[in-house]
Amino acid sequence: MNLKILWIYNDLMDLYGDKGNAEVLRVRCEKRGIACEIDKKSIGDEIDISDYDLFFMGGGADREQGLIYRDLLARKRSIVKAMEEKTAFLLICGGYQLFGKYYKDQDGEVVDGLGIFDYYTESTDRDHRCIGNIAVEVTMDGETFKAVGFENHGGQTKNVSASLGKVLYGHGNAFNCGEEGFLNDQVLATYMHGPLLPKNPKIADLLIKRALKKRYGDVTLEPLDDTMEDQAREVMLKRLKV
Amino acid sequence: MDLKLKLVQTVHKLLKPTGRGGSFPGVLALKLDPEMLTKFRMPGIVVLVTGTNGKTTTSNLIAESLRKAGLNTINNRRGDNLNVGITTLLASNCDSHYNVQADAAVIEVDELTVFRQFDNLHPTHLVVTNFFRDQLDRAGEMETIIRKIQAVTENFEGHLILNGDDPNVVRIADTAKKAQINFFSVGKNKVSRKTTDEASEGKFCPRCGHPLIYDYYQYSHIGRFSCKRDGFGEITPETLVTKVDYENASFTCDNKVFHSFINTIYAIYNCAAVVTVLKTLNLNTDAADAVFRSFVLKEGRNEVFELSKPCVINLVKNPTGANEVMKYILGQPGDKNVCIFLNDNDQDGHDVSWIWDAHFERLNIPEVKTIVCSGLRAYDMALRLKYEGLEDRIIVIEDASKAVDWLDQADMNSHIIATYTALHSTRAILRKKARK
Repeated sequence: MNLKILWIYNDLMDLYGDKGNAEVLRVRCEKRGIACEIDKKSIGDEIDISDYDLFFMGGGADREQGLIYRDLLARKRSIVKAMEEKTAFLLICGGYQLFGKYYKDQDGEVVDGLGIFDYYTESTDRDHRCIGNIAVEVTMDGETFKAVGFENHGGQTKNVSASLGKVLYGHGNAFNCGEEGFLNDQVLATYMHGPLLPKNPKIADLLIKRALKKRYGDVTLEPLDDTMEDQAREVMLKRLKV
Repeated sequence: MDLKLKLVQTVHKLLKPTGRGGSFPGVLALKLDPEMLTKFRMPGIVVLVTGTNGKTTTSNLIAESLRKAGLNTINNRRGDNLNVGITTLLASNCDSHYNVQADAAVIEVDELTVFRQFDNLHPTHLVVTNFFRDQLDRAGEMETIIRKIQAVTENFEGHLILNGDDPNVVRIADTAKKAQINFFSVGKNKVSRKTTDEASEGKFCPRCGHPLIYDYYQYSHIGRFSCKRDGFGEITPETLVTKVDYENASFTCDNKVFHSFINTIYAIYNCAAVVTVLKTLNLNTDAADAVFRSFVLKEGRNEVFELSKPCVINLVKNPTGANEVMKYILGQPGDKNVCIFLNDNDQDGHDVSWIWDAHFERLNIPEVKTIVCSGLRAYDMALRLKYEGLEDRIIVIEDASKAVDWLDQADMNSHIIATYTALHSTRAILRKKARK
């Protein structure tokens, strides 16, 4: 078995250690004998997104987001095709926002999103952001569990039809919103940095299963020793008292 | 005669012998008079030093050099760079009418708050060392910091002493139309590289968005860059380091050889800033060289403690600092243990995701025997290393004192990397355990 990951705009949308997500996916595949290929692509590169099992896009500052969004919009047809052909998606922060209708930045500039989903994002002023540790009760692919991360976003995402989970501590999609991220059968979008996957190996494995499903159907993954991952998460859950 | 000021000065005098003179007088001062910082009559020379890395070292080097050149100089030498620390410095060095009693004040200022203090301090010089990603949860985005500094320097008529090899810093020159711009720059040398895996900034021209082209990188995104479309970055430096000789710990600028006191590329940039300040004041740069030769680094910068074998401790605050400290550690010969103290208190930054941007995979060499992870976020650090294939060499000891005991008993040279709040507690432990 092999897994093909597209890590798009790795050179620009790589704020807050999001590259750790790619690293975790690779290592967790390789430990199970699944070859993992990570293609890094950026502005202007020719890509057929449906060639990949997993599409990963991280977050960036407003400036970087401004540089890539036209390139992303031009790829809309390729993205829709990949969705039809069951590619899985992991979208962090800026990636999350740009799959919605639009993003209005701190200066009031409106950046069009892909419009694939009905949610939209509006920023408040530069001095007010949702910042801090966050704990979420995630329900994903039939499993319910606690996840931890670090959120840092000015954008307030509204009109989210289905969230990734319930906020146990922190803000989520908007100030004190109670719900975090977006989730459907194929797409996981979230504001959780930290990065997300090292401390939340269950999410990493569910993503790998979703991605493998495209070409291999339902796959059972061999369990790994996650003692250290669990301890890292427990330290934070305990501190947040959730 | 101002009674509030008098009270603050008295408290400072009383506390000084106890070693607690750093912040409390400032706290008191601002409580008594929140506007006190606006009242001081500043000396004729006021040098502000800001940026992400190297503020404390650079401002101390400048202050010492000015003293060596014969100027009566005050400075916040311990890096108390917020309102409170600056108020303490000025209140304890002025007469009863707020006249600061010095020829020169050299003030390190936090890059996140400098825009608020700038006008009150009446600077003649602003030195900007560099801008790296640092404590993003506290800073928001770097763009915000740069814009705020651009806003306060728009009508500044003094000297801007800018790192000409950092595109984030060079941007300030574009908007400061009235200032006298003095760039410092370091030429190609042994550590310069054509490509880099360290730069997360400086990719595009801030004027036109075209990709910046680098002739070489020194470290992180610092290097000789320019925009081929509009010429951004084509600078004429006031101070150009033309040669760096790491073997003899020296560098050359203006045809003069200077001692390189930490002998690392980032410290040479700090030195170049110091030389530039002296030149703008028409002072002999021999004073700077004398300081570079005798300067003792601040606590927690390459500081050695004698455990069973020597243990060197270094502060890290961000990926760039961590990368440079690791280069130093890996440059030391022989087997070693490494201990990383990762905290996430206010001064460390609550967001520890920066450890994924630093190149900890560099520790994956045979000479690094064991890596002890300690501190409040020890397990986060351990995970970072686990996913670099270092699983078999990691030990987690959350308790700092036990971690130091482990290093002591291991009987091997060791290096400690600590975040800000971990540095102070760990130094206290090391002081107790070290053989004199």
